[in-house]
Amino acid sequence: MPPPAFAQETQTLEEVQVSAFRRLRDTGVQQVTLDTTVLHRNVALSMSEILTQHSTLFVKTYGRATESTAEFRGTSPSHTQVLWNGMKINSPMLGTVDFSNIPAYFVDKANLLYGASSLTLTGGGLGGAVDMSTLPQFNQGCLLQYIQGVGSFKTYDQYLRFTYGGERWSSSTRAVYSTSANDFKYTNYDKIGRPRERNKSGYFDDVHVMQDLYYNSPQKGRFALMAWYSYSLRGLPFLSVDYKNDTDFRNEHLQNTLRAVSSWDKTFERWSLSVKGGYAYGDMDYDYSTTRSGTQTNITKSQTHSQQGYVQANADWMPRDNWLLTANASACYNHVNSKDRSPFHIGNNYNLGRMEYTMSISAKWRPYKGLSFSTILREECYKRNFVPVIPALFAEYALASRPLKKSGTFRSLFKASVARNYRYPSMDDLYYKPGGNPALRPEKGVTYDGGIECRVQQKAYSVKANLSAFDSYITDWILWTPNAKGYWQPSNLKKVHSYGMELTLTSEVRIKRDWRFSVMGNYAYTPSVNKSDRQTVNDASYGKQLVYVPRHTANFLGTLSWKTWTLQYQWVFYSERFTTTSNEVSYITGRLKPYYMNNVSLEKTFQWRKVHASLKGVVNNILGLEYVTVLSRPMAGRNVEFFLEIRPQWKKSVSPLP
Amino acid sequence: MLLAALVLSAACSDSESGMEPEEFGELGRGVIILCEGNFNAGNSTLSYYNPETREVENGVFRRANGGARLGDTGQSVSIHDGVAYVAMENSGVIWALDTATFKVKGKLEAGDTEHMINPRYIHFVSDGKAYVTDLYSPYITVFNPKTMQYVGSIPTRQEASGGYASTEEMHRWGNRVFVNCWSYSNKILVVDITKDEVTDEIVLDSWQPKSMVMDRRGKLWVVTDGGYSTGEDAFGDNVPHLYRIDAETLEVEQDQTLDVDEANVQLVVNPDSTWLYLINNDIYRMSITAPHVPVRPFIEAERGADGRRHYLYGIGVNPRNGELYVADAVDYRQSGVVYRYTAEGVLVDKFRVGITPNGFAFQ
Repeated sequence: MPPPAFAQETQTLEEVQVSAFRRLRDTGVQQVTLDTTVLHRNVALSMSEILTQHSTLFVKTYGRATESTAEFRGTSPSHTQVLWNGMKINSPMLGTVDFSNIPAYFVDKANLLYGASSLTLTGGGLGGAVDMSTLPQFNQGCLLQYIQGVGSFKTYDQYLRFTYGGERWSSSTRAVYSTSANDFKYTNYDKIGRPRERNKSGYFDDVHVMQDLYYNSPQKGRFALMAWYSYSLRGLPFLSVDYKNDTDFRNEHLQNTLRAVSSWDKTFERWSLSVKGGYAYGDMDYDYSTTRSGTQTNITKSQTHSQQGYVQANADWMPRDNWLLTANASACYNHVNSKDRSPFHIGNNYNLGRMEYTMSISAKWRPYKGLSFSTILREECYKRNFVPVIPALFAEYALASRPLKKSGTFRSLFKASVARNYRYPSMDDLYYKPGGNPALRPEKGVTYDGGIECRVQQKAYSVKANLSAFDSYITDWILWTPNAKGYWQPSNLKKVHSYGMELTLTSEVRIKRDWRFSVMGNYAYTPSVNKSDRQTVNDASYGKQLVYVPRHTANFLGTLSWKTWTLQYQWVFYSERFTTTSNEVSYITGRLKPYYMNNVSLEKTFQWRKVHASLKGVVNNILGLEYVTVLSRPMAGRNVEFFLEIRPQWKKSVSPLP
Repeated sequence: MLLAALVLSAACSDSESGMEPEEFGELGRGVIILCEGNFNAGNSTLSYYNPETREVENGVFRRANGGARLGDTGQSVSIHDGVAYVAMENSGVIWALDTATFKVKGKLEAGDTEHMINPRYIHFVSDGKAYVTDLYSPYITVFNPKTMQYVGSIPTRQEASGGYASTEEMHRWGNRVFVNCWSYSNKILVVDITKDEVTDEIVLDSWQPKSMVMDRRGKLWVVTDGGYSTGEDAFGDNVPHLYRIDAETLEVEQDQTLDVDEANVQLVVNPDSTWLYLINNDIYRMSITAPHVPVRPFIEAERGADGRRHYLYGIGVNPRNGELYVADAVDYRQSGVVYRYTAEGVLVDKFRVGITPNGFAFQ
């Protein structure tokens, strides 16, 4: 919850301004920064909803607490690299991240790095990278925050946070508990007579606890420790065309995850050092069983245990004010034990470990004021396989920077980049039995980016716009296809050409003394076209848009504030998505119609001497649209949730929690 | 802007508009083609092909039934007494359709029975009794195809905990119905139709018996896919076998290995059950008296520029004239293609149907 909303949004733009115009480190980088104003808008939101509503990424999901993957620029979910406090958290098995399992309230800052820009952090992001981090709260005193949410379909969200921020120490403890029967009613158009049915087996029970601790010493540098544990039990909803009784079956995921990162940073006059270490543990059980025949029969009982150890060192050196040299090295060990204990599966899937190494060097140079260049060379290795050197080149030029009337400013900036990138296969790709293909090659990508960023700042309003275009080619795209024996196999099948443009616009207006208005909008045009050789003469997929990738995505958030009242309207749009590789529309199931979503919220804050509080009501899908985002997966109609937030005020509290 | 977005959203709701049931008129003696669709996508469809006019109607179930969908993962279609029965595996339902209109006459849901989970194939023992095999249930479900009422279940006596519970195709000889257990198994079960119970079983040397036919002499031909072998912990050796088993003595009389590759293997017989047609990458024709499968294929699968064969995913023989219908799944994610050949293997027609065509039924 973001009261007072406007003040914090102003902070956001300042941060973007600094990173866009001043930092040599970010030369030529195409990125969007989401801060707590966006991330902590609603405790019921996961990063899945945040990315859907505030970015041009396409998030494929079929409801709250269901697997949600995010794609940049028409690539695949495994082409999105995801970092949490510097540690890569993509599943070593699948290469993807389930964003529905990341509560947005656990993230204080998220950078979305598009295309080549992801190489400033990591390799393998053929689409881009999402970099999430927590932030310390130095000098904030003691802060306590509790939010209780109650919503439709027996949904309850609880959030508790305690923070202490002193001059040197900062500690934050957060916990989220979300549970729901999620048994919304819908009209089942896929069955004869269009019966009203309930969403079967869609329940969820998620618990997250996070602790972060910082110690800041002018002499010794900054030490940090972040740990995050999550437990998630989720039913997998039945298809709209399923005629079985859900009471006869258990179809659920149980997941336990622990992630921990410690770091040390020290900045000197001309150089800085950073060392990180991380550990992640995950176990995931998928259980599909029935008691139909009197005894329990496990149809699928897969169990996966994974462990990850990670170390990284980074050094920055500024020999002159216009030069920045960086060296980075990291090593990561992944171990996965994947098995299926159902009677219908014999043998383990695999039980293996894999070392992964990365080294990179980069140089940033500003020859003239307003003009800067950056280059990165990255080398990656998995097991004993070296991928070719990954190069990237960035350029940035300040087109204009001039004052306006009434103390205003206008700035515009041109950015461009070109990069080659590789993503090596995930462990499932290589080793999963049956189907894994040890002969897979890394996927290759070449991407070109260019864009203009403009900003107008006046006393009464500000506008920031970013327009970028990209052109990207991916070859040896790894694709899992079913084989004649009934299981799936990956191969380096595809060539894909994706291109298009992205537009981001944010604006804030102070209408009168107590009235403020802000808008944030995103639009992307993303043709992502299959250019693979035809498999056979019957293959009609050449030149067609990839399955489930919309050509157009757009979203809009409008916020109107009056004194202690805040009204928000959220609109999200995805254009039609094809469900076949040949983009056939002759089938009713061949495409999903355009998707529009409208959400509205109203919030009132109270500021008493001893306590600050707020009441918030959210109406999702306010028009009650009946829709699907994935075939045969109905979505909830109009639904509501109410939130009560309480923040006791102590003497040392300097400002409310974001 | 807000108003515009709201209006646009309201105008473009994703809710399905009403779809009026479509009348197909006089359909003639055509071919019903089941298209499996993609697992968990619910996009299985039925197509209808008129061999006389060479016209194809796709998505006939949905069109005839007011927009309702056939379901998820259609496994088999068979016609009995003017009614088409479609087993929808992952939907857990069997549809009974009028073959003249494709309108639903009845259905048997998993919940109507005691043990049915994922129905695979249907065998009509009599006008009032049919068996249903199942991918997961250790029971064969018995129902009355006239009333679509559940009758009972036959325990397969395959311990689920031992990994054997799947049952697949069925063929009859006398009072015996032979049932192959495909998934992680190497057995053929023998069901006595007078007792509705499993009375015997045949254990094969090769894993995963995939498809069977009965020839006119009472010889059961069984093709296995050999399981899979992708490294350690392999299940089977990936080598398909073709067996000939005597339906009276239950003895294996002939056993030969087939091409390995990634072949889908499937068997059908010609109308008088004297020739076998086998999909094993290409299509082979073999006399029931021949000692082995011919070296040269009867019909070669088309190949792409890189030499990759088409994915032949299903085969059917028209009992009226012996014409062959062969399904190509292409990439499994686009509309499949059906080839129609004469009994002598001459291409007559080629047409697009739904996703992953796998089965044929002839009116």
